[in-house]
Amino acid sequence: MTGVWFSWRIWAVFGILAVLPAFPFMTGYRLGLAFDALLFGVIAMSLDLLMGYTGLVSFGHAAFLGLGAYSTALLVERGVRSIWLCLLAAIVVVGLYALLVSYFATTRRGIYFALLTLIFAEVVYTFFRYTMAFGGSDGIQGLEPAQLVPGMPASAVDTPLKNYYLVLALLLLAYLVCRTLVESHFGKVLVAIRENEDRARFLGYNVRRYKMTVCVISALLTGIAGALYPIRLANATPDLLLWTVSGEVIVMVMIGGIGTLAGPVIGGAFFMVLQEEVSSYAPKIYQALGLSADKGVGVHLLIIGVILVLIVLFMPRGLLGAVRAARVRAPRLPAPVAAGGAK
Amino acid sequence: MEYIADILLPQMLHGLVFGAALGLLALGLTIIFGLLGVMNFAHGELFMLGAYAGIAVIALTQSFWAAVILAPACVAVVGALMEICTLRPLYKRPPLYGLILTFGLALAFREIVREIWGGDMRRIVEPISGSVPLLGMMYPKYRLFLLGAALLLLLGIWLFFTKTRAGIIVRAAVQDAEMLDGLGVNVPRVFTLTFAGSSALAALAGLLLAPIFTVVPTMGVEMILLAFIVVILGGMGSLGGSVLAALVIGEAQSLFSLWMNPQRVAIAIFAIMILVLIVRPRGFFGREGVLE
Repeated sequence: MTGVWFSWRIWAVFGILAVLPAFPFMTGYRLGLAFDALLFGVIAMSLDLLMGYTGLVSFGHAAFLGLGAYSTALLVERGVRSIWLCLLAAIVVVGLYALLVSYFATTRRGIYFALLTLIFAEVVYTFFRYTMAFGGSDGIQGLEPAQLVPGMPASAVDTPLKNYYLVLALLLLAYLVCRTLVESHFGKVLVAIRENEDRARFLGYNVRRYKMTVCVISALLTGIAGALYPIRLANATPDLLLWTVSGEVIVMVMIGGIGTLAGPVIGGAFFMVLQEEVSSYAPKIYQALGLSADKGVGVHLLIIGVILVLIVLFMPRGLLGAVRAARVRAPRLPAPVAAGGAK
Repeated sequence: MEYIADILLPQMLHGLVFGAALGLLALGLTIIFGLLGVMNFAHGELFMLGAYAGIAVIALTQSFWAAVILAPACVAVVGALMEICTLRPLYKRPPLYGLILTFGLALAFREIVREIWGGDMRRIVEPISGSVPLLGMMYPKYRLFLLGAALLLLLGIWLFFTKTRAGIIVRAAVQDAEMLDGLGVNVPRVFTLTFAGSSALAALAGLLLAPIFTVVPTMGVEMILLAFIVVILGGMGSLGGSVLAALVIGEAQSLFSLWMNPQRVAIAIFAIMILVLIVRPRGFFGREGVLE
């Protein structure tokens, strides 16, 4: 635990984030965008535990996110307004689901793991997409704000500012959990599994149990973030569960820098801001050029796709990884995404 | 008896047609996977590009048959460029980079198509219209043509891999590319040509299925998951397994939809796959140690 809690840089960053809403340019709209950015930062960071440290690429994180969101939405819809109960429900639901998925998925390595998580998540998507009791394709809309203290309307998390601080608190908590975890003995074993699974097994570690544990931890962090999602947007839709969302989270990790924890947070924030800005400006530019505006709706995905390709090709350690490598000067080895290795 | 003739039989034939076309898509995926170690997320987009390239060629020449030749050729060029420019630098890296890279390419392809052709549904008119009597029912001629074409192609691919020198070189490259290189074969060229070939197959499948389905930019995303399931079910790296699994999935999809609504069908197919993987972790014909 070398200086996890005392690293001044982290506290400086969180300090800046904490006073950010005081600046005049942080309008309600921008605070909402900041909420999304930090929320997906948490999700990308939790995926980094798997991708960056354990070498497992999960293509099913959308399911954890969506299950968390639906837990909150269903409870709030039925009049349970306490945030804590919503979080508890999300933890139970996501935890059980993650146990099930990781039990099957961790029997296989590499691409099989990715595809198994993907297909499990797709089952969850199909279930919510077509279950009319959960709103079908519309999801659950128009939720009341949740409350920190049940029965006390004054404690309702109903303004962009309160939402923002809620997610900032989650980010801080999640970062400390992840950082403590990767610096611990447990984290070292995960890295050992990433580097050489067989050797870790021969050293006497129960590799599968370690993998399942880290899967569940990562899933729970994502699920908790998901549980906060409906608190800002007052809805939960099956689109959250789409497998392309899982892919987007992987993109966030790759852009920010795999295996750095802080990098994926930057990647998540970058992704969300880019998506929001491009998709709000592109139709206007198209209209100004005399083209039909409806074509511009997906431009951000085009840009993100191209950025992802360029990052994989030229900057496999991502933004933060590249900065660190430049600072250390000593060239590092390519990023260790691998699981199982090639044949 | 009437139930069998009027409902069950046509539905089973539909399933066979769909399964055979799915087999074309899955075969390309499985070959690329076996050869390059890349699970190609953009394969569905190549499938979709086939349909759109077909629309473009038909607009120019008014001929579906010209599109059958030209559209896969165009997509093969796209595939070859994609392999040379983006995948080639990744072979030395762990296979998951390929998965992530092709996910990015898939996003880009999909949105480029949306920019060019818009997001609306389009149709390609059947080049062969009308129905013929078959086993006591009327069956659309185009579907029969599709079934025949797909089965012929599958046969052709099988002959290619077993009887021709080029096919044997590709199979050898799947087994041990380094050794093949040592024997003096230009392995990078084998990789590029194989990738181009499998792109053309995907494009052809997209074009041939287009008159039955609608053409939208997301048609590839919808198919790629099924194709992944087929590849896993058949066993990674097994060509015969992929074809068999494609036919099983095609039939299952088609027959289940008689008795269930579409969402239950999707869940049932996922359930089949999970069950098969529990009983046979490597799918029907998967060999031990292929990219594990």
